[in-house]
Amino acid sequence: MATVTLKGLSKSYGKTQAVRDLSVDIEDGEFFVILGPSGAGKTTTLKSVAGLVDVDGGSVTIGGKDVTLVEPYHRNVAMAFESYALYPQKTVSDNLASPLKSGRTGKYTDAQQKERIDQVTTTLGINHLLNRFPRELSNGQRQRVALGRVLVRPADVYLLDEPLSHLDAKLRAAMRAELKQLGAMSKTTTVYVTHDYQEALALGDRIAVLRDGALVQIGTPEDIWRRPADTFVARALGQPEINLLDGEVEDGRIRLGGGAFDVPVPAGVDVRGGDRVRVGLRPCDIHVVGDQAAGSGPRLTGTVVLAERLGRNIELTVDVGGEQVIVLSSGREGVDEGGQVSMTVAEHDIHVFAAGEGDTSRLGADHDTGRTRGGVEEVETAQ
Amino acid sequence: MALDRFKPTRTELLPGHKRLGVGSVVADLGLIIWFVFSLFPIVWMVILALKNAEEQTTTYFQFSPSWSNFATVLSDKGTQMTSVDFKTAMLTSLINCGGAVIVSLVIGIPAAYAAGRWKYKGSNDLMFQMLSFRFAPELMVIVPLFVIYNQIGLFDTKVGMIWVLQLVTMPLVVWILRSYFEDLPEDLEQAALLDGYSRTRAFVMVALPIVRPGIAAAALLAFIFAWNNYVFPLILADSNAGTVTVAITKFLGGGGQAYYNLTAAAAIIAALPPLILALTIQRYLVRGLSFGAVKA
Repeated sequence: MATVTLKGLSKSYGKTQAVRDLSVDIEDGEFFVILGPSGAGKTTTLKSVAGLVDVDGGSVTIGGKDVTLVEPYHRNVAMAFESYALYPQKTVSDNLASPLKSGRTGKYTDAQQKERIDQVTTTLGINHLLNRFPRELSNGQRQRVALGRVLVRPADVYLLDEPLSHLDAKLRAAMRAELKQLGAMSKTTTVYVTHDYQEALALGDRIAVLRDGALVQIGTPEDIWRRPADTFVARALGQPEINLLDGEVEDGRIRLGGGAFDVPVPAGVDVRGGDRVRVGLRPCDIHVVGDQAAGSGPRLTGTVVLAERLGRNIELTVDVGGEQVIVLSSGREGVDEGGQVSMTVAEHDIHVFAAGEGDTSRLGADHDTGRTRGGVEEVETAQ
Repeated sequence: MALDRFKPTRTELLPGHKRLGVGSVVADLGLIIWFVFSLFPIVWMVILALKNAEEQTTTYFQFSPSWSNFATVLSDKGTQMTSVDFKTAMLTSLINCGGAVIVSLVIGIPAAYAAGRWKYKGSNDLMFQMLSFRFAPELMVIVPLFVIYNQIGLFDTKVGMIWVLQLVTMPLVVWILRSYFEDLPEDLEQAALLDGYSRTRAFVMVALPIVRPGIAAAALLAFIFAWNNYVFPLILADSNAGTVTVAITKFLGGGGQAYYNLTAAAAIIAALPPLILALTIQRYLVRGLSFGAVKA
């Protein structure tokens, strides 16, 4: 149990800067998720906490102690690797016993070791695999063993690197639920790296979004989802991706699609007439309504170009005044390709970003975006 | 039996069988010719080793095989003919080459691990410098070595031979094992570090067992190269540290008659230790080519 503080962390591999000036405070017992696309520096960050990479600058503090120059085996952290990193020449039971036998994670008698292994394998449902070798396991089972090797001993911090990424979708959902229910996880500070926004939103107490090694936004899942700091974060969360439409402010409304339709400027967004902005509308926030139903928000009308059934929902591509807008619909409205639809969006679901190409930051003052903005600007100047 | 139903019919191919076509026949024929061509010296040597003194130089094929040449080589009679005890030479070779391989492994395995894991400026140059010992012909360094060995008292000592054979075995061991360590995912050792093991223990506990097939392969190759070395023992050793490669050539006669049949018999005996070694660790050699990594 410990807090983890990263201050100005930097690491380069040759000319590639993997992590740039990253500062994060992780609280004791927090489940902290680092989210970002591949190459964003997530694993480098995690390995910096573990002490497996020599950082170029900045410091790592665990439990109030500066461990930047401390060897990994003195840091008392446990890590599950993306590649599982199970010892191929050892059985599952020997793999799990390995951290208990090193003598640096505490002294355990044979009976205590056995008890701990028993406990963790029961929790993870792998106690029938104890005498197998890693090569004789499925990916899901290897995953559990790798997780077991982390949970089998007490540690100040658990580090999990994409622990679910190699599992198929169904197993991933099941494991995600299991992870959340694991008692040990809820008590120990955990840093969890993933590129899957659903995992991040489902598991994290807080989420840090990384891009090109720099922090873009940090906050609770609610924060990140409701108030994405820029279009990068907005696009990273949600499937299908958020709709981004260029518009111009006029009389307190934002004209979109070359003036074909408009939405109101949400409260707290400081824009003046004539300003160019980008409007973000999540497909799941756009509601298809019947013709006569009176929606509270702004009303959009368009022609359905494409309707794809994705299980529970239907993904509609709607042509609204020349703009293609993706909409998720429950399918009960009976919309069809070629038909007309009316849609509403609640005012608080309208995200307004600065105009421009690439990743632009959010407009509006509802959130402490000071550090966030700094990070974004740095990236933009670097590009 | 019910299982008879599953017997393949004649038109089906069994595993390991292939359909005969013109192409494969030609290929097989080519391989057979090449096989005969490359094996012919060995066949010749075996026949020669089984011939007696009269038969060995006749212009027509005369052959009444006997094992007597092998017995002569190993007996006192052979020792008198060459003034070298062949059995002692065999033992010396085993000590020299075994010693050289062990020293190379003890020093070379950590060196290969370091070279495979840590890249720094000039690390490749260092590796090539080591390999460059193998670029130059041994004869180029033998004269200065001879002078040095005489002066520091290493001439005709087993320690001296083990030392000089490092020029042959060490680069081989380091270069082969470096690639093994490079292929080994770093995650495994990192996992051991986080389990609370020191770097040394992580190396011994995780890396070493996994590259064991590679070590076997490298050790065998190094042993064969050291065993076959001729120039170093010829110049730097005499009766005390003289190896079997030098002893063989004594049968060709420095002063009197050349005993080709005895030479052939001696060569066959001398080829046995590496052959036996190779067969013993064959299992590792095959595994050494295809060892599994982290993910399936």
